[in-house]
Amino acid sequence: MRWKQFFTPVKSMDAVKAKNYLAEKPSETYTILDVRQPEEYEAGHIPGAKLIPLPDLNDRMGEIDTGKPTIVY
Amino acid sequence: MGGRSRVAAQMLAGKGSGEVINLSGGFKAWKSDRAVGQEDQGLDLFSGNESPAEALIIAYSMEDGLREYYLTMIPWIENQDARELFEKLAAIEVKHQERILDEYRNITGIEFDREQFVEKKVVPAVEGGLTTEEYVRLYKPDLESVTEIVGLAMAIEAQALDLYRRAADRSDGNETKKVLMQIADEERAHLAQLGKLFESI
Repeated sequence: MRWKQFFTPVKSMDAVKAKNYLAEKPSETYTILDVRQPEEYEAGHIPGAKLIPLPDLNDRMGEIDTGKPTIVY
Repeated sequence: MGGRSRVAAQMLAGKGSGEVINLSGGFKAWKSDRAVGQEDQGLDLFSGNESPAEALIIAYSMEDGLREYYLTMIPWIENQDARELFEKLAAIEVKHQERILDEYRNITGIEFDREQFVEKKVVPAVEGGLTTEEYVRLYKPDLESVTEIVGLAMAIEAQALDLYRRAADRSDGNETKKVLMQIADEERAHLAQLGKLFESI
């Protein structure tokens, strides 16, 4: 059986580009979203990142400000 | 392993969020300043404009992919809880396939048995897609790491959940909508189970 690919296009940025991109912006103008599990978050995360583990994302979508860019990891 | 963030970014983009950027390479790359750029290779796109019948065909193949993923990974997993959950989830995906095929018969009025359906509809629909092995290779989970294997399973289940939600939203028939939402709810429950498992490993 072969997989159909289900992916809608999403912009990707590597860590260096993302750092430069964020460096130019005041921190209240973007959201950094961490979709890993809480224990991974605890072990280390990008400063200021909001934690919404992937299993919760569908229900908690409303917590993300759609007026700002969101960087997801 | 960027599978989860990629899916999350797609879910956000699908909901009409503002600009969404997937941090390629994830947190590991952030820490070490190292770029990893393989995630976008060779992907055909799911357009999001499929009719309910087309969505059901894709759903059927996705269930097959999920089942195969779980079965492929079982021999690699030493953790007993993880193995048991994967076995259970693989069995449930077969039940989902049966319901999807029933629903396909209902909305199209065409009688297919399982084999005919796979041969005439599913195989042509996924032509050019990736084999499970290629799919796994694309995401490169560390097969020694049960958390990475479970993390990729979560990414795939979230993808399934997202597909079912969107297909249900667009579906005209109440019965189809109901079936798709039920399956979506079950995928969401799977995702939650995988999340708990991840925490317990």
